Amino acid sequence: MTLLRIAWRNVWRNSRRSLVTIAAMAFALWTTILYSGLVQGYLDSMEGDVLDLEVGDLQIHPEAWDDEPGLSTVIEDPAALVAALEEAGLTATVRLLSGGLAASDEASAGVVLRGLDPVADARALKLPERLGEGRWLAADAPKGVVIGRRLARALGVGLGDELVVLSQAADGSVANDLFAVRGILGPVSEGTDRAAIFLLDTTFRELFVLPRGAHEIIVRRPADLPLDEAAARARTAAGPAVVQTWRELLPTIATMLDSSRSVMVFVFLIIYLAIGILVLNAVLMAVFERVRELGVMKALGMGPWAVLALIVTETAIQTVLAIAVGTLLAAPFAWYLTVHGINVGALGGTAVMGLAMAEVWTGSYDLQNLTTAVVLLLVIVAFATLIPAIRAARLRPIDAMRYQ
Amino acid sequence: MTTSPPVLSFEGVTKVFHQGDVEVRALRGLDLVVHPGELTAIVGPSGSGKSTALHLAGALDVPTTGTVRVDGVDLATLTARERAALRRDRIGFVFQSYNLVPVMSAHENAASVLALQGVPEAEQRTRVASLLEELGIGDLADRRPDQLSGGQQQRVAIARAVAARPAVVLGDEPTANVDSATAERLLDLIRSLNERHGTTFLLSTHDERVMKRVRRVVTLVDGKVASDETVGG
Ligand SMILES: Nc1ncnc2c1ncn2[C@@H]1O[C@H](COP(=O)(O)OP(=O)(O)O)[C@@H](O)[C@H]1O
Ligand SMILES: [Mg+2]
Repeated sequence: MTLLRIAWRNVWRNSRRSLVTIAAMAFALWTTILYSGLVQGYLDSMEGDVLDLEVGDLQIHPEAWDDEPGLSTVIEDPAALVAALEEAGLTATVRLLSGGLAASDEASAGVVLRGLDPVADARALKLPERLGEGRWLAADAPKGVVIGRRLARALGVGLGDELVVLSQAADGSVANDLFAVRGILGPVSEGTDRAAIFLLDTTFRELFVLPRGAHEIIVRRPADLPLDEAAARARTAAGPAVVQTWRELLPTIATMLDSSRSVMVFVFLIIYLAIGILVLNAVLMAVFERVRELGVMKALGMGPWAVLALIVTETAIQTVLAIAVGTLLAAPFAWYLTVHGINVGALGGTAVMGLAMAEVWTGSYDLQNLTTAVVLLLVIVAFATLIPAIRAARLRPIDAMRYQ
Repeated sequence: MTTSPPVLSFEGVTKVFHQGDVEVRALRGLDLVVHPGELTAIVGPSGSGKSTALHLAGALDVPTTGTVRVDGVDLATLTARERAALRRDRIGFVFQSYNLVPVMSAHENAASVLALQGVPEAEQRTRVASLLEELGIGDLADRRPDQLSGGQQQRVAIARAVAARPAVVLGDEPTANVDSATAERLLDLIRSLNERHGTTFLLSTHDERVMKRVRRVVTLVDGKVASDETVGG
């Protein structure tokens, strides 16, 4: 009690130094809390985009797909496989794939045609949510297609415009038909933006003369099911077909997401190292300034532990204040970043490693942002305090009192 | 002569300091016994070993050879922690430059040794209040040291030194930093504490006025007792 009272007064002896120390610690907390949540939110949305819009958690391809991908390399009974996957607690959608050429009045481009069932697909992926303009595929519009935004620009087409698709059907005949642009996607990924044409699976089968089979099954897992466990279940259901996780399909992106988190930790370490040095310096000064006084207290019979406790309590007071200030200041910003996010405007849609950046970055905050920042601060401050505090505790009163 | 056991004794004490290659022999066989209730001054020229002797008596330093006892306990047998406890419980200190803790009020400074002993706050208050009253600074109890004159600060320091009723109060030139009128008043207070409570004082000084007010004067020359006289007063 007395210790706390004396420590409190000692903190305000050099109020400027204490305020600077508190402000620096609070600033470090504020920065790390907000920055970690923003990075977390960014990475989550990157990962979410990759998974929710394109890749899913797992993909199943025909056994021979790797060696000879093509229209006639198919999973024979996709409906049965989907049923087995659903049985195993997973969600799946069937995709039909083919290359081709698309042409408008003005231009032509190589494209990838993706046939899907809009009802089943919407249960697995969130593509309809990323529609930039127009509408998503619907069963009552068999000739309507949805295309990537850069493809639309390259072909010079807008909503309602027509385009011709040209390819080779499964039976070797020429596959060509006239389609109307029903929707144009917002930023998804480099590949999709440049070349994707989405169409109904029924339309795809007619165009390519492919009555049966599928080229790809995209699988999702419940949030609480680990990726490996989901993959194991899918392998059991898939038989000879090949199951790959998104990490296996996109190793560079998986690594990039992981390393972004490491970079964040590294940045934090640098911030806290700087704070540690500042605190160390402040505590050292606070001790050296009153070596004589501490020596007198020891001469009067104050034990080394009591001296240690006094110095530690002085820093603890400043740290508690910094945590309160840092957290209180971070809270409204965290709220704003969660609800409104930062609009990166023109940067939005820029591709980073083939992934399109979202236009609005939102933060993702939970208690862990706070606890990580606070624990880091406490560890650093403890180190920075103990060194001078131990020196103070070990002062010989006779030496200390001679010190002017 | 008194028959009670001594509160403090030096037996053949030497103290050698090493400054680089130079050996400084601050004490060269000091023999001195202090009994309860005595009011003693150690005098002698500068460098004669007065401060060194008081540091040893206060368990702040250890002798090179010889024995220093407080309350019959050989200080050489104590650990650092035990010496700290002995200082807290048995010894009072009055320093030349007061050395009050600046963030504590006069009352808190005076009570600080009692607080270190774990005496309950209510009891600290009553004991210190009457002591400050007796020293004539009862109305300054809530002031911080920087709001007090040198003489007032030294009275607080005296209160701090005697509050816990130590076996002996050590003062290294306690009047060296105050003007002579203040010094006289401080000595009167010390003398009256000695008379009324039987507090034992051992003060170093080279101040003539101090010598006139104590009951015993021990003169050190070259780290040894040159004379030891009981004086009037
Ligand atoms: N820590 C020390 N290191 C070296 N020499 C010291 C130390 N303390 C005291 N001395 C020397 O010991 C001698 C006695 O000093 P001191 O006890 O302070 O004398 P006094 O208090 O009588 O002036 C002096 O020569 C002084 O320089
Ligand atoms: Mg001296």
